[in-house]
Formats: sequence, structure tokens, C-alpha cells
Amino acid sequence: MTVISILTRLDTLCKKYEKYDLEKQGGAQDSSNDAFLKLYKLMESDIEAALQKSSDASIEKNRAAVATLNAEVRRAKASMRNEISHLQKLAHKKVKGVTKEELAARPDIVLGLVGKIEAIPEGTIMGIKPKGGKPPAIPFEIKMDGVNPEDLIHPEQYQDTEESKGFREVVQKKKGKQDEGLEVISEGLETLKNMAQDINEELSRQVPLVEEIDSKVDKAALDLGNTNIRLKDTITKLRSSRNFCIDIVLMCVVLGIAGYLYK
Amino acid sequence: MEAAGGLAKELGNWTEVADFYKRACELYAESGKPQPGADALARGARALEDAVPDEAVRLYLDSCAILEEEDKEQLAFDTYRAATNLYLKLQRFEDAANMLLRWGLAADKCKAIQSQCKAYLSAIITYLYAQDLKQAEQCHVDCTQIDVFLQSEQNACAEKLLQAYREADPEEIKYVVSKSSTIQHLDHMIIRLAKQLPTGDMKAIASASGNIQDNELDVNNCIC
Repeated sequence: MTVISILTRLDTLCKKYEKYDLEKQGGAQDSSNDAFLKLYKLMESDIEAALQKSSDASIEKNRAAVATLNAEVRRAKASMRNEISHLQKLAHKKVKGVTKEELAARPDIVLGLVGKIEAIPEGTIMGIKPKGGKPPAIPFEIKMDGVNPEDLIHPEQYQDTEESKGFREVVQKKKGKQDEGLEVISEGLETLKNMAQDINEELSRQVPLVEEIDSKVDKAALDLGNTNIRLKDTITKLRSSRNFCIDIVLMCVVLGIAGYLYK
Repeated sequence: MEAAGGLAKELGNWTEVADFYKRACELYAESGKPQPGADALARGARALEDAVPDEAVRLYLDSCAILEEEDKEQLAFDTYRAATNLYLKLQRFEDAANMLLRWGLAADKCKAIQSQCKAYLSAIITYLYAQDLKQAEQCHVDCTQIDVFLQSEQNACAEKLLQAYREADPEEIKYVVSKSSTIQHLDHMIIRLAKQLPTGDMKAIASASGNIQDNELDVNNCIC
């Protein structure tokens, strides 16, 4: 018997004998008339679930799981904060079977619940980890050319002429075009990189499926081989010459009887 | 049973569609094939997406839960994507962000780093679209505790986006979104959300998260 079949049988048995479950029935009867109590019990169970998740997050070592649990705790707290206003309205409603003292105490109970909700830890804000692991920059020396005394004597060598200005402009334009081209190439390379990473993940997802197909195909081939051998043996037995002669003789006898009867 | 579910869908009996697909999943599970069972639930959810989206969401979640129990999270990626897109269609942004974080956790288990980082960035963008800068920053801080995300391009993009939000600079936000190739490679629904950023009143959003920023500064000062 597999675990799954045990579980399904257990479910059917529980459903069959649900009416004898005193806790469920009692709880349902008690809070059927009092909406405040119903909502209060629901919120208490939600708070317990959130506290459980929060404690799981504090124990959990896997940081991705911690992030997921913290997000779920925050979401639960936000939805509970939304329900508090509804609970506060219900606290002031008069209900049959509830004494005046109990009714007066309900707003305090709601405040206590608010405190419990705010007290649920939702993951400490530890601050962003500083990025580490970058290799140290290789220091390079900046060499400053010293002033050549000859340049001081002949400063006109470094003055711009029209030709040099033209050359400079051409160089700037070509550099600009180069930069544009390089930007296009870098965008293309980034797209290729992303596509390659996605393909890598997709392939790693397909690997176990292909291995499973491989093993199933091997098993099927083995079964086919065995079946072929058995079929060959069966056909060989059927086609043996002795059986063939017996078949022909019997057919002749049947034909003879049929011919005699129809004459 | 799946064929019956398909026929029920054509007839418009939506409750029966869900029941048939759930029964198909149970039968697959009883015969020891949980993965086709999860696929059956996902197909049922797809059939119910337009008519009964809440039921479709429940079926997607059940399908993901089955695959997580069987340690076959990689096969659940498509289901996570479909569930997230359905939540976004239903404007349930917190649930969508939660689903993205769950996707990130599943990707972490299968060492699918690219998918993990994309999922975290998508979650941050979803929180920002829902005008919840506080949640987005908390989510970012949680995710940066994970080394692979900390060193990824997606983290760099998230930092720029959150910095632009803190400065309440809509032009900077639009510039970051348009110039970032990282965002262009996310899921198309997330790209659509990112292109609509910023949403809401920037100053109100930035001031609502002002407290958390002060706290972060205090922590940093203590460390220094």
C-alpha cells in the first residue's frame, strides 16, 4: 500500500466521521452569533502562523528562504492591519449573550491584538552588505612630462593652425562614430549574454528530462528485443514442417467430406 | 478526467472543470506520478484563468506546492510565471511579489542564478509599482544578503531605481528604466509595469519610507 493511498483513505475516513469532531462543532456553535469573536479567533490564528514563519526565518540558514519568509510575514501583517479597523467596528456592536463588562473590555482586547501584530518580527534590516571580492586596482604611475626648456624658447610650435584644427575635428568625429559603434556592439553583446544565460538554464532544466527519456527508451528497447525473440520462437514452432503436413492432410480430408456431402 | 475537464470548460461548467482537473491530479498522485498531476493542475488553471481567476490561482499554487514537495522546482518555473502574471492581471501586487520571491527561492535551490536574480528584481519593481517603497527597500535589503544577487547586474539596476525613488526624481526613474538592458530582459508583464513607473505621488511615497531610511543611516553610522 503506498503512502498516497493511505492518505486518501485517511481523508475519506475523516470526512465520514467529521460530525463527531466535538472541537469543530463546539467552536462553530459558539461563534455562530458573534462576528467579533469569529474575526478575533481568525486573527489570533493568523498571528500564530505569522509568528511561526518569523521564528522559522530566524532559524533558516538559506538566505533566499529567509527573504521569502520575511516577505510573507510582512504581507500577513499588512492584511491583519487592514482587518483591525473592521474588528474595532465590531467591538462596539452589541451582541446577545455578551455582558456589558465584556463589551466594554473588547476595545482593549483589540488594542492588545494590535500590539501583538506590531510585535511580530519581520526580519531585521541589517543594511546592505558592502560589495566585496573586487580585485584591487593595479596602481599605475602617471608620468608627468617635465617642461622642456626648448619649448619655452619656441612656444609657437604648440599654437593651433587651421590644419591642425581641421585634423582635430576629424579625429573627434571619428571617435564619436567609434563610440556609437561600440555602444551598439555592447548592447548586442549584453543581449547575447542574457540569451546565453537563459539558454544555459533551459538546457540544465532539460538534462534530467532527457536522461529520463533515455532510460525509458533503453528499457523499451530491451522489452522489444525480448518480445522479438519470443515471437521468433513461436513462429518457428508454428511453421515446423510436420505441423504443416498435418494441416494439409486435415484440410484435404475436410474438403473430401464436404465434396461428398454436397454431391 | 482531463478530457472531461476540457469538455466541461466548453460547456461553461466552471466548478466541474476545477473538480475534474483536481481529480485527475489525485489519480496521477495515486499512481505514483506527481509531476503529471501538477501539470494537470496547471492546465486546469489555464482553462479557468479568464472565467474564475481565484480558482485558477488556487490551482496554480497547488501545482507549485506539489512540485516543491517533489524537489522538482525547475519544472515549476512556468507555473510560477503564469501565477505571477495572473496576480498582476488581478492587480494583487503584494501576492505577485510574494510569488516572485517564492520563484527566487525555487531558483536558488536549483542553482538557476539568472532566474533567481530576475525574480528578485521583478519583485522590487512590483512593490514600486504598488507605490510601496518601504516594502521594496526591505525586499531589496533581504535580497542583498544573498551573495549571487549582491554581485549581479540586477542588484545594480535595483539600487539605481531605489536611489531615484528616494530622491523622488521621476525623470531619473524613467531614465534608469529606459537605459537598463537588465529590465528589458525580464518577463513582458514586469517590463510593462516598469515602463509605467513612477506611479502615484513621488513625494508622498518618498516621505512614507523616510523613517526606514533614517534607520538605515543609524545602522550604517554604528558600523562606521
